[in-house]
Formats: sequence, C-alpha cells, structure tokens
Amino acid sequence: MTKALSIINDKRVRDWIYQIAVVVFLVGMTVFFVRNASENMVKAGIASGFDFLWRTSGIEVPFVLTGYTQADNILGLFWVGVANTMLVTVIAIVLATLLGFVVGIARLSTHWLLSTIAGAYIEFVRNIPLLFFVLFWYFGIIAALPAPRQSISLFGVAFLNNRGVTIPLPDGLENFRVAGLVILVSVLAYWAFAIWARRRQERTGLHAPTLRVGLALLLAVPLLAIVWATLATRWDVPALRGFNYRGGFAVIPEFVALLAALVTYTAGFIAEIVRGGIQSVSHGQTEAGSALGLRSGQILRLVTIPQALRVMIPPLTNQYLNVLKNSSFGAAIAYPDVVSLFMGSALNNTGQAIEIIAMTLAVYLVIGLAVSAIMNWYNARIALVTR
Amino acid sequence: MTIRILSVAAVLAAGVSFAQAQQLAPSPTLDAVKARGNLECGVHLGLPGFSFANDKGEWSGLDVDYCKALAAAVLGDATKVKYTPTSVQQRWPILQSGQVDVLSRNSTITFSRNATLGLNFQGINFYEGQTFVVRKSTGVKEAAGLDGASVCVAAGSTEEKNAADWFRERNLKVTITNFQKNDDAITAYDSGRCDAYTAGVGALAGQRAKLKNPDEHVILTQPISNDPQGPVTRWGDERWQLIVRWVLNGTIAAEALGVASKNVDEMKANSKNTEVRRLLGAEGGFGAMMGLSNDWMYNAIKQVGNYGESYERTVGMGSQLKLERGQNQLWTKGGLLFTPPFQ
Repeated sequence: MTKALSIINDKRVRDWIYQIAVVVFLVGMTVFFVRNASENMVKAGIASGFDFLWRTSGIEVPFVLTGYTQADNILGLFWVGVANTMLVTVIAIVLATLLGFVVGIARLSTHWLLSTIAGAYIEFVRNIPLLFFVLFWYFGIIAALPAPRQSISLFGVAFLNNRGVTIPLPDGLENFRVAGLVILVSVLAYWAFAIWARRRQERTGLHAPTLRVGLALLLAVPLLAIVWATLATRWDVPALRGFNYRGGFAVIPEFVALLAALVTYTAGFIAEIVRGGIQSVSHGQTEAGSALGLRSGQILRLVTIPQALRVMIPPLTNQYLNVLKNSSFGAAIAYPDVVSLFMGSALNNTGQAIEIIAMTLAVYLVIGLAVSAIMNWYNARIALVTR
Repeated sequence: MTIRILSVAAVLAAGVSFAQAQQLAPSPTLDAVKARGNLECGVHLGLPGFSFANDKGEWSGLDVDYCKALAAAVLGDATKVKYTPTSVQQRWPILQSGQVDVLSRNSTITFSRNATLGLNFQGINFYEGQTFVVRKSTGVKEAAGLDGASVCVAAGSTEEKNAADWFRERNLKVTITNFQKNDDAITAYDSGRCDAYTAGVGALAGQRAKLKNPDEHVILTQPISNDPQGPVTRWGDERWQLIVRWVLNGTIAAEALGVASKNVDEMKANSKNTEVRRLLGAEGGFGAMMGLSNDWMYNAIKQVGNYGESYERTVGMGSQLKLERGQNQLWTKGGLLFTPPFQ
C-alpha cells in the first residue's frame, strides 16, 4: 500500500500518467471526430476518401514550376500549389531578412533622418493589416503599370507591364550547368583556403589575405562564369504578338505583388528583432573588444553580432513561420498557391472538403516544422557554450 | 363493453394514423421549416438580376424569387425567408451541413456534383451559356479571337474548367487567372489585369454594370457552353425534394396555363381548366399530398408571380439586364421550358 502510494507520489511516474492520459484523450477525440464525420458523410451521400486525387484536374494554372498541365490529375495540381507556396515563402524570407537588417540597423543609426525614417516605416508596417499591403501592391502599384502594348522595356529583352514581367528564357541549360560546376569548385577552393589560413594563423599568428582571395573566388569567378554562360547560350527573347508578349518566362503580377507585400510587411517586424538583438549586447562588450585592440569591423563581426544572434534567432523563427502562413493571403489576389488552387479550385470541383483541408493543413504543418527545425538547429549551434 | 369500445377506438385510431403515415413519409426539412417559421435559402453573394440585396437589405432576383415562391408555398408567406449569401466555395458545404434548406444560387448542374456531393438538382430555372466580356478597343468578335489573351475567372466555377477545355481543344494559348470571387475577378479585369472576363451570360449582363465604363465593353454573343441552373437540395429527404421540384414546376406551369399574379383569384374561382384548378388547389388536394396546404401554388403565384413575370422583372426587358427570353422561353414559344402535367 505504502509502496503503491509512493509510486504515485513519484513525480516522474505522475508525469508519465498525465502524458499517457492526454495522448489517450487526443487519440480518442480524433477517432470520434473522424468516425462521426465519415458516418455522416455516408448518410448524406457525400463521397469520401482520397481517390479524387487521381481524377483529371482540368484547371489551367498561370504560374507553374512543376511541368503540370491541365490534363494532369488533382494530385499534380496540389504539388503546383505546394511549389508556389514554397517559392514565395523562401524568397520572401531571404529578402525580408535582408531588408529587415538594413532597416533595423538604420533605426539604430546616429543619423537623425535615417533613424526617423526607419522608425516611421516600422511603426507604419506593424500597425496595418497584411491584407491591406497585399491589395495595395496588387491594385495600387502593379495594376497601375502600363498595358502590354505600352510596356516598359528593360534593355529590349525584358518587359514590364500590368501582366507582370516577361524575361528571356535560355534555350538550353548546358552552359549554365558548366558555370554552376565552376562556381562550386571555386567555393570549395575558398573553403579549403579559409581552413588552411585559420590553421596557419593559429600556428604562426600570420594573417592570410582572406578578403582578397574571398573576393576573387566568391565574387569574380562566379560572375565571370555566369557572364560567359549568358553570352554562350541562345535566348528565347519575348516579343509582342497579339495581346501580350510571347516567349520567355512570365513572372505573374500576383507573385510580384504577394512577394512585395510579404517582404515589406515582415521586414518591419524583423527590423525590430534586429534592433532588440543588437541593443541586448551590453556596451561593455564593445569596450572590452577595443581594449583587446580589435578594429570596429572585427568587434561587430566577432563580438556584437554573435551575441545578438542568440537573442534574435527564436523570434526570427516565428517571423519565418508567419511568412509561410501569410503566403496564403495570395488567395486574395489569385496567386496560385496551395490555398488558392487546392482549397479553392480543387475543393470546389470535387467537393471533398474534409480531405482537402486536412491535406492543406498537413502542408503548412510539414513546411512549418521543417523551418523551425532548421532554425532550432542553427540556434543550438550558435548558443552560448558554458564550460 | 367499455373495454371493447375502447379497443375498437384504439384499433381505428391506429389504422388512421397508419394510413396517414403511409401517405406521408416524414420530412425533417419541412418540419424544421414549419417549426422555425421561415425558410433558410442559400443565395449568391450579390449578382444583379439573380440575387442582389439593395441598400435596405431587401433581396431581389430570379434566384431570390424562387426562394420567395417556395416560402409562399410552404408557409403561406413569401416574406418568410432568411437569405444566406454564399461564395462559390461555401455553397455546397452550407447545404450539405444543413445550414440552409435549399440553395437557389446560379450554380451549374453537373454530373460529378450530382454523383459525389450528396446533392440533388431539382430542375432548371435558368439555361445559361458561358461567354466573355472584352474591351471594345480590342476588336475581338468571338471567343476564338482571344488567342494569347489572359482571362479572369472565379476559381472552382464550371466556367474555369469550361474555358480551359474550350481553348485547349482548339489549340489556343490562353492564360487563365483564377480569383476566389466573381467580384474580385471582374475588378481585376477592369483594372487591366486581364483581356477578358468569363462567366455565364446572365451573370455577365449583371456584372457589366459594375465596370467603370460599361459602354467600353462588349459581351461576346456566341456562348461556349450550356450551363443549366436550378434549386439544389440535400440527399435523404425525398418529400422535401418533391416540394422543391414541384414549386419550380408550378411557377413554369402557371405561365403556360396563363395564370399570373393579377388573374390568379379570378382563375381559381372561375377557371374550367382542370389542370389550373388542381394547380391552384380548387380541386384534387395536390398540396395535401405533399403535406402542404392546398393553396400552396395559389399563394406562390399570388405573392411572387409565375415564371414569366419573375423573369421579366428580374433579368428580362423590365429589368436593367434586358436579357431576351431565348432558351428560357416556354417550349410552345420556341424555348426549352417544359413541365410535367399537374394530374
């Protein structure tokens, strides 16, 4: 009796009991809801299951990265939506981070005008709903561009109008593959050089010309390779025929508007995270750095930013997840993301609401967990190592 | 003795109720409508001529008129309707889940919707053909002239697939941009995003009025599809389906029989035509066969009018849309409207 009591009083055992109870409850609820829904659907004569995914979709999509055509099945349509969601999310995350850093650092600048403008931008962005940005970029900026016949020509090869940007498309990618290989070798060479230089410095204290070698291997060589590949490839240059430019690759205005909205919106939040991160590093650290004889660039690179990053990564992860979820605002302006294509067109054509919404949820869950896993891994890598 | 009388009475009562039960299968929807005192009708978010709420919140239109006729037939009062505006995406779930009793919403009847959505289509109140609106300045006269154009459409509509199929079959390259709502699609067309906007001819006629300069746009006359539309019900309540179907038939039959809101009292009192008399409840007890009062169609026609009156008022020459009767004329006058007889 006393023994049984002491087992229940054991915190670890109790924790396990709670955990198991919660899992049993959740599984029970899920089973109940799924069974309830499927029984009701059978009663109401509504088809269920995932067979509809193999039906021909018949839906024409204006922005496709996966080689999908309207003769493909609905599963193909699903992947188009997933690819478009991921494309806009990844590019928006990169650009919003860059813009956010610039604005965040400008906010901290001692230059009065610069910091005021940055401050005004941040306050403006953070107090206005995202849908406004999306509609503003789409109907306010993009729709105000000229019609195809009056397109703005960029060097006679790319054309900007209210149908988007039409850019030339290479006829073949062979030269670009060669260029990619050259760039890869060059980056690997720099990496090897950097390791060698650090070891030598640790051994002998001699500095290697890392910056100059870096510029050559990471900038000059790739640039030359790309210029060579561009010149050596035949290009399909868009030409005005009938209603619009034909040939080349058309970047649709919905993509541009959604990307611009996500970047300008998220950058406001990232700027605050950057400001907070940098301000969290005490000024004594900078002073200690200069006492050691480090130059100001080195202090920023070796002392301030590593410590600021530790504070910034967790809230940045949240912002990246927000970008992913906010990309669904594309549905408001016909950007063919997974919400618009799959939860819109496919759901309507098939009526399989439960299956389609479950699959869309799963997409966001999987991408979201992947983003936070990467960020958590990075966070663990740069976390303060206590000895 | 008393016991015997009681048992005889009990047997008789049981027999009567059994006979009644045999005559009328239960209709949960009808019972709910009667208990609630109003009809829940799913309509379009806002499509002039079909279902449109004015600034006082009063609904009108061809699809709305059907809701009114049904409410008059079931409850005796055409005003006892609660309208639920539904988007393209909401319309099926809202009916499937029982939030509305009937959907009267400019939705095309298709095989797969009928076969997989647990829905039944109870007849046709509008034969529609899909077409395009384009700017006059483009000089386009027919759909085939849209090669290379970009077309705006509502996502998940039959129009989206029809257009894609039609252009693909003819090897024409057209970019189709899918918006979540008809209104978003036509706004995008108006802002210059697309060269054309596609929808049913009835919807287009109403939506052209929303454009900044309606006169600069033209609706192509040749339709690329045939999209029959009509009231929709859930599976599983056969008697309710019967009512929904026969109210629609009743409004069309009334026009064919010459019964209108103005002469319905006179016809009910004096008509010698037995079909008219059955329709209006003067003989035959047709309403009671479905569990309604016998003046069900009398109420509907008196308060809402027959199909022709409704058409003229909402989409026809008496309205802003000015659509010809065309296919939506009675079969005797060269159209497609035909109803089974009331006998």
